[in-house]
Amino acid sequence: MIWILPTAVGALLLLVRRAPRATAVSTAAATLALAVWAAVTRPATSFPLIFTSGFSVDGLAAVMVVTVAAVALAVLVFATGELREARFYGLMLIFVGAMLATVTATELTVLLMGWEVMGAMSYALIGYWWRDGDRVTSAGVAFVTTRAGDLGLYVAAGAAFAAFTTGGTSGQVLGLAALPELPQPWRDLVAGGIVLAALGKSAQLPFSFWLSRAMAGPSPVSALLHSATMVAAGAYLLLRVEPLLAATGWAGPLVAWVGGLTALLLGGVALAQRDLKQLLAASTCAQLGFMVMGSVAGGAAHLVAHAAVKSLLFLGAGAWLTALGTKDLSELRGAGRRYPVVGVSFAVGALALAGLPPLSLWVTKDSVLAAVHDPWLHAVGLAAGALSAAYAGRALVAVWRGSRSDGRPAETLSWAPLPVLAAGAAVLGVVGLPAVWAWWSGLVGDPGAARVDAGSLALSGALAAAAVLTALVRLPEPRVLTGWLGLEAAARAVLWRPLLALARGAAWFDDRVLDGAVEAVPRLGMAAARLARTPFEMGVDGVVRAVGGAAMGLGRLARRPQTGQVHTYLAQAAVGLIILAVAIVLVR
Amino acid sequence: MTGMAENPLDLLPELLILAGAVLGLLTGLFVPRERQGVVAWICAAALAGSLAATLAVIGRPDVMAFESFAVDLPTNVARLTVAATTLLVLPLARSWAPGDRRESEVYTLVMLAALGALVLAGADDLLVLVAAYLLASIPAYALTGFAKDAAGTEAALKYYLLGAFLGVLMLAGVTLVYGTAGVTAYPDLDRAAPGVAVVLLLAGLLVKAGGVPGHFWVPDAAEGASRPVAAFLTTVPKAGAFVALYRLAQDVFDQPMLPAVLAAVTMTLGNLAAFAQDNVRRLLAYSTVSQAGYLLVPVAMAGRGDLAEPALLFYVAAYAVTNLGAFAVVAAAGTDRLSGYAGLARRSPLLAFSLVVCLLGLVGTPPTAVFVGKVLVFAAAWQGGYAWLAVVAAVNTVASLFYYLRWIRPLYAEGEGEPVGNGWVACVCAAVSLVLGIASGAVLLIPSGGIN
Repeated sequence: MIWILPTAVGALLLLVRRAPRATAVSTAAATLALAVWAAVTRPATSFPLIFTSGFSVDGLAAVMVVTVAAVALAVLVFATGELREARFYGLMLIFVGAMLATVTATELTVLLMGWEVMGAMSYALIGYWWRDGDRVTSAGVAFVTTRAGDLGLYVAAGAAFAAFTTGGTSGQVLGLAALPELPQPWRDLVAGGIVLAALGKSAQLPFSFWLSRAMAGPSPVSALLHSATMVAAGAYLLLRVEPLLAATGWAGPLVAWVGGLTALLLGGVALAQRDLKQLLAASTCAQLGFMVMGSVAGGAAHLVAHAAVKSLLFLGAGAWLTALGTKDLSELRGAGRRYPVVGVSFAVGALALAGLPPLSLWVTKDSVLAAVHDPWLHAVGLAAGALSAAYAGRALVAVWRGSRSDGRPAETLSWAPLPVLAAGAAVLGVVGLPAVWAWWSGLVGDPGAARVDAGSLALSGALAAAAVLTALVRLPEPRVLTGWLGLEAAARAVLWRPLLALARGAAWFDDRVLDGAVEAVPRLGMAAARLARTPFEMGVDGVVRAVGGAAMGLGRLARRPQTGQVHTYLAQAAVGLIILAVAIVLVR
Repeated sequence: MTGMAENPLDLLPELLILAGAVLGLLTGLFVPRERQGVVAWICAAALAGSLAATLAVIGRPDVMAFESFAVDLPTNVARLTVAATTLLVLPLARSWAPGDRRESEVYTLVMLAALGALVLAGADDLLVLVAAYLLASIPAYALTGFAKDAAGTEAALKYYLLGAFLGVLMLAGVTLVYGTAGVTAYPDLDRAAPGVAVVLLLAGLLVKAGGVPGHFWVPDAAEGASRPVAAFLTTVPKAGAFVALYRLAQDVFDQPMLPAVLAAVTMTLGNLAAFAQDNVRRLLAYSTVSQAGYLLVPVAMAGRGDLAEPALLFYVAAYAVTNLGAFAVVAAAGTDRLSGYAGLARRSPLLAFSLVVCLLGLVGTPPTAVFVGKVLVFAAAWQGGYAWLAVVAAVNTVASLFYYLRWIRPLYAEGEGEPVGNGWVACVCAAVSLVLGIASGAVLLIPSGGIN
């Protein structure tokens, strides 16, 4: 139940709005401590909600809570240099809390709750600068897109519930662990719904465009949203229900191919971007494509390493954006030399992203590919890897080429997380060592996962090195790639406009037909009331007045005995008692 | 009654109050005038001790002390109510009495009257009842006229004459009972007292309780006496008188119709008379008369169902604290005219809010304590087979809303007025009324855990 701490403090911050930065950072630190503790002790609770719900920290969840808490702490420390409003920190803490709830949930109801709160917080954070209409639109696009995917999760929950009520299964109702044993056709429905929701949340094709829109939020938001929360939630969910996907037979390959194609196409998109944050966003889609390609152990390793790398890169981009006022690649010339702390950290992150040996993503990406047996998909993965090296190299060259001396002075405290994350990005590849790999795959519940062999490691390393060098030559930038494959326009044309037209039609029907009928009722009532007023209301009014008048009259009468004269008091008391006495004697 | 005892410790709460009164009087004799306030502290300590002593024994098995004083749940509730409300009256008196030549006597008289109310509540023998009646009455007469002004003196005389007249009748009733039964202890009377004697017995207690036909003194005394004294007179003696009435109805006579009729007449008369009052003290006085009517309902239902006793005890406690709160607001506001309360909410929001809580409490609005008391009272009447009485009480409750709202409305209107005094007693009363109402479930469960 570690999610309670950040959520509660976040909600409190939104209400009280005192000392937000210190509170948020200390809360994040406490959450990290709690997460480590939870990862060691593996607590589990269960409680009756609608059904028996619960939270538990198993191996995969342990990895996730520590990753989430650590990245959240780094991001919040960084944010203290940029933002001061309590609203931001409150929303961020609730966001983190929702993610923690999602990854520790053992059952669909609570998972949905965390999932939904996370979505709502992402909306609030992307549209954080709400006076800017564009950003709010972006937040809306991101929210509606992910929500559209979320519908799948509701379908899944409904199907699972239907399966449980029709009987034939035992175990926890809506429990995640019980999903693979569902009878057909419910199992396929559940799997389809979950896949849809996860692909939407993790910005895989065809949902990828919302991640481009999500760049409208503050840089710390991007850093958190792209690394350890939100998009990671989609990937996590797919890793979590891997047994279900495997059980269906069709879902696993589908997800793997979607992931592979996303990695490839969005890699191309990333290569064509001129905006550093957009480049990183597209690369997030591409990297998440690797995570969902079917290997639990490799995917989890890639998720953790990517969390460190991507939060680092976004924080670096955010630092330059604050200091230099730009995120355009051509205007960032010399940014690396101007701020060497950021520059070196960023370089480590970018080289890791490129998949250069011996950095982390080199190993984890190949660990994913090691489990891919389809040769075509494997080839797609390799090509996507080469693309990631190319765009990472492009970003690296853009910030290190040339030199400059303008811009604000460097921050020290709030930039401190960057080197730490860089260290993480560099060394997390140790997971590929044979002994570590055995422990890791057992930890995340995928024992015996295929370990990457030296040959393919060497191959991909060489490929990456070669691809990085292409950054030195100018590449064409086709419009279709700079515009994110036209996905948003397509979604608007194919889904949004018809939906809106349908809604307008329905609204017309509601206003004219339904509302007309509803409004006729009060009109009729008013007419009847007018009719009734003249003769009857007068009568009722008269009765009310008469009652009031009578009460006042009685009141006057009741005060009459209170003459102020003692002898009348005594006489009245005596008379009253005599009457009582006589009555009691006579009645008896 | 599970046992007899002659252990003075059973009477510790009463003895503490007596000791406080005596010690206060003696201290007052030797302390210079400007430092007489110390007497108030002595009395407060005695009352606090009495409260603590009561809390320590509440829930113990019933005891009959000296064959004439019942130590059971009704007595203990009366002890708590009397000690607590008296403790709250002291600060009111403390802001009125200083500088008076006889300041310490105020506190002593208050203590003695409270003691009288306590003995009244616990009396289990007609002779003790008479003694308690006198102990409760005489200090009260003195307090009423304490200010030595025309209004107070007149009120004191009226109170005294009415109390003496009906008190003598009560004594006659005691004589009659003794003459027919040969005993005066309640348990031996076996609910067989003759009808005329019952009327006479009730006469005296109704003066203390402020019920018809002994209610005539209430408006005059509430208006004529000083404000703290008015608060005391309409609160503390009632607690004792109603518990005494309940004991009589339970042990001495079996005439439920008599108190039922008195209840109906009392609540109706009180409510009607309060309608057009512009003097808030007279308004509150009539309101206390109507509340006495509601309190007579469980008295009539004594022995007719298990709801009567909790209804009476809870209502007594709730009424005492709520009524005291309303009077405390009057004492703090320092004005008796209804128009003087215009705009009070702006001058002192907390005081105005306390008044609203207390007045709505007297109406019987949730979540205040009197609401719970009223519900219990209605339920007791229903359970006892007196549905008509419940209906009369409900109708009266609705009617009473009128004059309470008449007082609430000007609070939130525009208006200038005198600056208000310190009203923390009113706030405490309002808070207790709310807490007692909200926690009523728990409070009502306490005795069923301890007794039985």
